Amino acid sequence: MDDVLVSARGLEVHFPVRAKGVGRRTAGVLRAVDGVDLDIRRGETLGLVGESGCGKSTLGNALLRLVPPTGGTVTFDGIDVTSLDRRRMRQLRRRAGMVFQDPFASLDPRRTVAQTVSEPLEVHGLHGGRRERAQRVGELLELVGLDPAVAGRYPHEFSGGQRQRVGIARALAGEPDFLVCDEAIASLDVSVQAQVLNLLRRLQRRLGLTLLFISHDLSAVRHISDRIAVMYLGRIVEIGPASAVGAEPQMPYTQALLSAVPVPHPALERSRRRIVLGGDVPSPANVPSGCRFRTRCPYVFEPCPDVDPALQPVGAAPDHVAACHLHGVVGTPVRHDEGVDVGS
Amino acid sequence: MSAAAPTPGPAPRSPAEPDAPARSSAAPDATAWSSAAPDATAWSSAAPAPAPRRARPRWQETLGLLARNPSAAVSAVLLLLLVLVAVFDETLAPSGPNEISVADRLQSPSLEHPFGTDDLGRDIFSRVILGAGVSLRVGFLAVAFALVVGSLAGLLAGFYGRWVDDVLMRAMDVLFAFPAVLLAIAVLAVRGPGAGNTALAIGIVYIPVFARVTRASVLGVREEVYVRASRSVGASDLRLLTRHVLPNAAPPIIVQTSISLAFAVLAEAALSFLGLGTQPPNPAWGLMLAEGRGYIDLAWWLAFFPGMAIFLTVLCFNLLGDGLRDVLDPRQRTLMSGGGR
Repeated sequence: MDDVLVSARGLEVHFPVRAKGVGRRTAGVLRAVDGVDLDIRRGETLGLVGESGCGKSTLGNALLRLVPPTGGTVTFDGIDVTSLDRRRMRQLRRRAGMVFQDPFASLDPRRTVAQTVSEPLEVHGLHGGRRERAQRVGELLELVGLDPAVAGRYPHEFSGGQRQRVGIARALAGEPDFLVCDEAIASLDVSVQAQVLNLLRRLQRRLGLTLLFISHDLSAVRHISDRIAVMYLGRIVEIGPASAVGAEPQMPYTQALLSAVPVPHPALERSRRRIVLGGDVPSPANVPSGCRFRTRCPYVFEPCPDVDPALQPVGAAPDHVAACHLHGVVGTPVRHDEGVDVGS
Repeated sequence: MSAAAPTPGPAPRSPAEPDAPARSSAAPDATAWSSAAPDATAWSSAAPAPAPRRARPRWQETLGLLARNPSAAVSAVLLLLLVLVAVFDETLAPSGPNEISVADRLQSPSLEHPFGTDDLGRDIFSRVILGAGVSLRVGFLAVAFALVVGSLAGLLAGFYGRWVDDVLMRAMDVLFAFPAVLLAIAVLAVRGPGAGNTALAIGIVYIPVFARVTRASVLGVREEVYVRASRSVGASDLRLLTRHVLPNAAPPIIVQTSISLAFAVLAEAALSFLGLGTQPPNPAWGLMLAEGRGYIDLAWWLAFFPGMAIFLTVLCFNLLGDGLRDVLDPRQRTLMSGGGR
């Protein structure tokens, strides 16, 4: 069937929560990513959306082992990334790039653009000599729409959008197959966001990249993605083709998220029905039993606290799955000795 | 992309990046995104960056800012002079350090002996000049030793954390638990007096200071996104440490170096004063101070000039350290170079 490049199975990233005071007692576990199964197909753009703190950045980092997973496996092009030794892992990093959220923090202020962009080349011994490397840096800068003449400048001389282009050039220097964009446009001006987004889309097509586009900006994700995955409290709760998830969301949380996107038409915007969710996201250190969304779901009913919903086919489009009991109660029953019950 | 000026595409947005006013109403929405003609505008948006003024290298900028701080600048010049004096001491000194002339003993300052003579008739001016080399050599050696060992320990402790941090920093705490002079005396008692051992003793005393300063600085830098970004492209730990962490963690270490030099010169004088450092008849400022002590009400110049030498040297290192702190502190830097002029 589809050719899968990156695959996660039961991926978990749990952080210990330390108790205050003397000693290092572990007071609890923060489940940033809590059992994620995900397949990213070669050449596709997968959008990953969710509220702040739902674990989407941690998931992106864990796929590249920039945050060590505490459970589950990640395979990259058939290679088990989770069990790779450090040296092999470093070599594999050439094939996966990452673009970070804050372009003001992700470039070393003491290194020139050329030094930053050529770092992957030096690390992996690509493009041998100094001159060839300088030429390659120039090509990369052109590729992301910067004048190669800026190579000798320092990051503080650039605007946010320009810095982000430098960050993209660095991520592409090793000619990766896979690019993770972790909120790559979130801290840019709106007009610049459009440019960087289009740049990413164009690069994805031109270089045949597989792109994981992490964002809380649904419109941007809809614009760029082939498929969209929705994350809530460390789990993927819905995933499917961008058109299907965008037009006919099947999971109440996705519906609420989408209803929050403004419509660019005054009359329609006024009549737009918004689903406003009550309450806050529960703490990932204290996850509700059964369906994680039940504490805020408008349709909550009996099985929700007792059965942990599994992803099941929903809607008309093929390949569209959601974890919700409204489509039939499927999942693992909750053993009542574990799982913390949070009042509904 | 050699397209000269940012030529606006057909889409209603201006491709020039920095100025994008009054578009906030057209917030990100689905239609606006898709109306952006994909490739034509995207390329024009990629107009070359408006060429910013080429910045001078950072060290030049630092020197320039330092020059605007009068006390630090004067201190730097005086210290430079002192180093020159120490290097050319044999040429500069009018007489040898141990040329005894009993007939000329305890002469007050005069044209022939600008700083007077001591109880053996030795020229104090010459001995102060020759003592500069001793003081600076011991000071630099001691601080260099402490800097290398302490910073390495702090770098590793801060970067790796966990048990590395625990082991290294507990060891530093043990060193810190001894009073500084007591620890130096203990080292000298074991190794015997002399310039080299004095440097070693003072160096050991300052290891934990450098370790703590470095560790604190590294703890902040290692969490920076650019360190993670560098890791994400496959950089090794060694590369991260030497190319990214250490250069960005350096400013407080540089300041600490200057301030420690002051204390090292002072400590060398103190140890020599106590008879544990430089041994007579070699000239050392602390030793001369000790020798002059007995004549303080009879011939003040015996203790006064070496004392002044110690005082000025320590003051200059301290002022230079303060100046460096002001210049290297990023927030201060913005205040001085951005806001001011």
